[in-house]
Amino acid sequence: MNATLLNPHRERDRRPIRFLVFGLITILVFGVLTSRLAYLQITSGATLAARAESQRTVAEAIPAPRGLIYDRKGRLLVANVATYAVKIVPSELPYGDRDTVAQRLGGMLGMQPSDILATIDSAPGSRFDPVRIAQDVPKDTARLVSESSQQLPGVHVAIETRREYPDGPLLAHILGYTGPIDGAAYAKLRSQGYLADDLLGKAGIEATFETQLRGTYGSEEVERDATGRDVQVLRTIQDAVPGASLTLTIDRTIEREATQALKWGMKAAGLKRGVFIVMNPQTGEVLALVSLPSYDNNLFARGISNKDFQALLRNKDKPLTNHAVQAHYPPGSTFKLVAGTGGLQDRKITPTTRLRTRGYLTLGATRFYDWNHAGFGLCNINCGFGHSSDTFFFQVAGMLGADRLAYWARMYGFGKPTGIDLPGEVSGIVPSNQWKLDTLGQPMFPGEVYQAGIGQGYDVVTPIQLITAYSALANGGKLYRPQLVHDVVGPDGKVITPFKPDLVRKMPVSQATLRTMRLAARSVVTLRHTYNLVDMPIKVAGKSGTAEFGTRDSKGRLPFHSWFVGFVPKDPYKGNFSDTTSQLAFLAFAYDSRTKGNAGTEIAKAFLQLHFHIKKDYLNRDLLRRGNFYQSN
Amino acid sequence: MRAEPGRFADVAAKSVGAVWRAYDLQLTVYAALLAAFGLVMAYTNSVESGQSALTGTVFQRALMWSAIAMVVYIVMTAFDYRWLKTLAWPIYFVNLALLVMTLAIGDGVGGSARWVGIGPMQFQFSELAKILMIIVLATYLGNREGKLDSLGSILGACLLMGPAVALVMLQPDLGTSLVLASILAGMLFLSGASLRWLLAMAAGLLAVIPVAWTYLLRDYQKDRILSFLNPGGDVQGSGWQVAQSQMTVGSGGVLGTGLTNGGLVRGGYLPVQESDFVFPVLAQELGFIGAVVVFLLFMALLWRILACAWRSRDPFGTMFGAGLASAMLFQVFVNVGMGIGILPVTGIPLPFISHGGASLISLAIGLGVIQSVNIRQSRAEW
Repeated sequence: MNATLLNPHRERDRRPIRFLVFGLITILVFGVLTSRLAYLQITSGATLAARAESQRTVAEAIPAPRGLIYDRKGRLLVANVATYAVKIVPSELPYGDRDTVAQRLGGMLGMQPSDILATIDSAPGSRFDPVRIAQDVPKDTARLVSESSQQLPGVHVAIETRREYPDGPLLAHILGYTGPIDGAAYAKLRSQGYLADDLLGKAGIEATFETQLRGTYGSEEVERDATGRDVQVLRTIQDAVPGASLTLTIDRTIEREATQALKWGMKAAGLKRGVFIVMNPQTGEVLALVSLPSYDNNLFARGISNKDFQALLRNKDKPLTNHAVQAHYPPGSTFKLVAGTGGLQDRKITPTTRLRTRGYLTLGATRFYDWNHAGFGLCNINCGFGHSSDTFFFQVAGMLGADRLAYWARMYGFGKPTGIDLPGEVSGIVPSNQWKLDTLGQPMFPGEVYQAGIGQGYDVVTPIQLITAYSALANGGKLYRPQLVHDVVGPDGKVITPFKPDLVRKMPVSQATLRTMRLAARSVVTLRHTYNLVDMPIKVAGKSGTAEFGTRDSKGRLPFHSWFVGFVPKDPYKGNFSDTTSQLAFLAFAYDSRTKGNAGTEIAKAFLQLHFHIKKDYLNRDLLRRGNFYQSN
Repeated sequence: MRAEPGRFADVAAKSVGAVWRAYDLQLTVYAALLAAFGLVMAYTNSVESGQSALTGTVFQRALMWSAIAMVVYIVMTAFDYRWLKTLAWPIYFVNLALLVMTLAIGDGVGGSARWVGIGPMQFQFSELAKILMIIVLATYLGNREGKLDSLGSILGACLLMGPAVALVMLQPDLGTSLVLASILAGMLFLSGASLRWLLAMAAGLLAVIPVAWTYLLRDYQKDRILSFLNPGGDVQGSGWQVAQSQMTVGSGGVLGTGLTNGGLVRGGYLPVQESDFVFPVLAQELGFIGAVVVFLLFMALLWRILACAWRSRDPFGTMFGAGLASAMLFQVFVNVGMGIGILPVTGIPLPFISHGGASLISLAIGLGVIQSVNIRQSRAEW
């Protein structure tokens, strides 16, 4: 207590000036604070209040319901289902927390944290645009994520609709799928109102009819809190207009029959890839289009995992490729239609001109063999086409020359995409002298012209081109663009774009010529070139093809593709092939077939039995045994 | 002036009435009103963060701490402050020990160590360090009366304060270490320390700033200062807080939006709204008028503290009041200045208004000591 023993009357050493200065500083401090406050609240109060208001309200897009897709009989082929999606707004995720959040979120969603970070970093939008991390999240997981928002800054759970394809692989190559927009597409489509986390059609009809299906997004004014969560909708600025619906030309029943037939044949013959197409020759409507192997487009609609996607890409049978339109193959003997039509129309031969067919044809020092090493003797077009004589068509091709042959190929639609409503269609190759000069620097050799005549040279065609060409044969020379979409129907149920056959050209071919070729195609069946196809109670005309490709094996044999393309009269039981009223053309393609017989023919037969409910089984399983077609003959 | 020195000797010795008269009622009233504002803000923040009006945890905790603070205030008033001088060294070392413990076992945001959990509560000992250091410095400077203008006094005070500042800096808590520095500066200034030496030291500190920027400040501390200098730079980061708080203040206008009606606050736009950014919320909801009333209460309270300090015959009392006033003025200036965008963002609470038990308890101790000094002046005479 000694420290407090002070003399009360002694004046202490106080510093009044210092206390006065302190007091003045105090007054100054509060003066400064008050004036700044007055500036903020009185002078610029209204401006700041308005700015505060505007940052809380944002215009948000209202996604339009995507249009539905039906088959020609009105069966629903795709549905919109509401699902939970997990999204991240990068600007709300502090950089230092990225790894922890990715780790935690990855654990909840069963995803690799590195995938999450990669998704964020490759997002097309700005830092303020949400990035979709996972689609189709189960309800419980979605709830868990949204309840953990404290530990997951920047992570949001959104409800969005995704596509559900009830038939999955059956129609995957036709319908395609929707998926998240990528950077390049976003840059291009942004001005059309696409969002950085938008979904859009990426394959098939979903892609080609994106504009019609998407509809028009609306917009609304939304109040948000600081974390970007929507608090309430203040007003709708513009209503969303739902997308138009599509009615396809596809008949799901026929699609199933075609798939069943193709799968049966592929299994029986041990094939890896195959195509089956059914078309109405009168209109170009595609009734069925099957490319196997297929894939489940629901995987994409749900947000495919990197692992699944890589597996699809690695599969050497290319399940993501629609082999009917996105790949081309040598047509083989089916191409004799072109040489035959050209020879008749250019008057190099008449229907009755007979040419000597031998086991081979010699050109210089090279022998060009017929598949039948015995030959068929003197043959007219009906015999040559019917027996598929190679030496007959070597001669016809030689008479025509490379350029006329190419001309007639182009008239049938080869060498150019058909324009079917699917993305990524390839054009095939029709070799002419000019083409070979441009590509290889030399004109066509005569031997190559021979080979071109039987579809074994440089020619490659897509299955859709080939069936379109035979449809033109069946309908009397009208080459139609194959179509998949019958009607575009507005959200009000009114048809916006009704179906109209799209005539590419009326071929410059006389009806007589085409009739000759149709009857020759009928002979292919009746001469039993295709074995017991003729025994079926329906009448079929068509052409098989055995197209060699690749490299010779140890015995000097080549692997081959097997084709059959044909059509039936309007009345398949009583009709004939003089008229042009056929309403059903079909094509079977068997990739890398190594069977004794023509796998394509057996597959086509299987389809016809299914389609026409033919009870008796005409399938010839013996022909699908392993063994080389050329060896067995 | 009730505390006229001449009158103490006559009445104080035996009369409860004299003690009452020596007691500064105004000081208590201003402090109580400010604490009431604090409760109101706790209430409004409770409601806006979605808690129910009366059972909201923020509000309930504020009520609890107010009650504890009242008890502490009464106890400290009754307690003979002269013991503090005797206990100055133990207090000093206990303070350092608490700060070391905070570093060792404390929790905080993003790797810092600021709070120590005591049962269900968290306590920030750096808040308590302010008042404890005022006691220590007041004892030291009071004992050196007569030699206060020497360089030795200044250096001694700096040496005493140094370890505490360093420990708080390590947490890292730039704001509180600045408050401690302001306490040191204010007490030295009011003690009558040599202005020449003070200015020389201030110049020396300015010279150290570039070094400190490079080696001492953490990245987030630099960010805050940079974003203050360039608020448009990083809209979502530190600069965002500055822009948000100005918008919050501005949207209040003259009359305010009314309690619990702060739109931005409800939307969660303002970070740490119940502590660091409590003032923008107050200014928004109570408007310019409400904010000015709070300013006036602070000025009145500062006036009373300074008056008590001035009239204390014990140099400890003078120095203690000087320290308390310095700390309070500095905190109000920095916290409010930050909220209205004239100072960088630092985590300094607004006395009475910001929620936080430690801050309120420290204030209760400080004001209690002031009152204890007031009512014991006469006994000292006796």
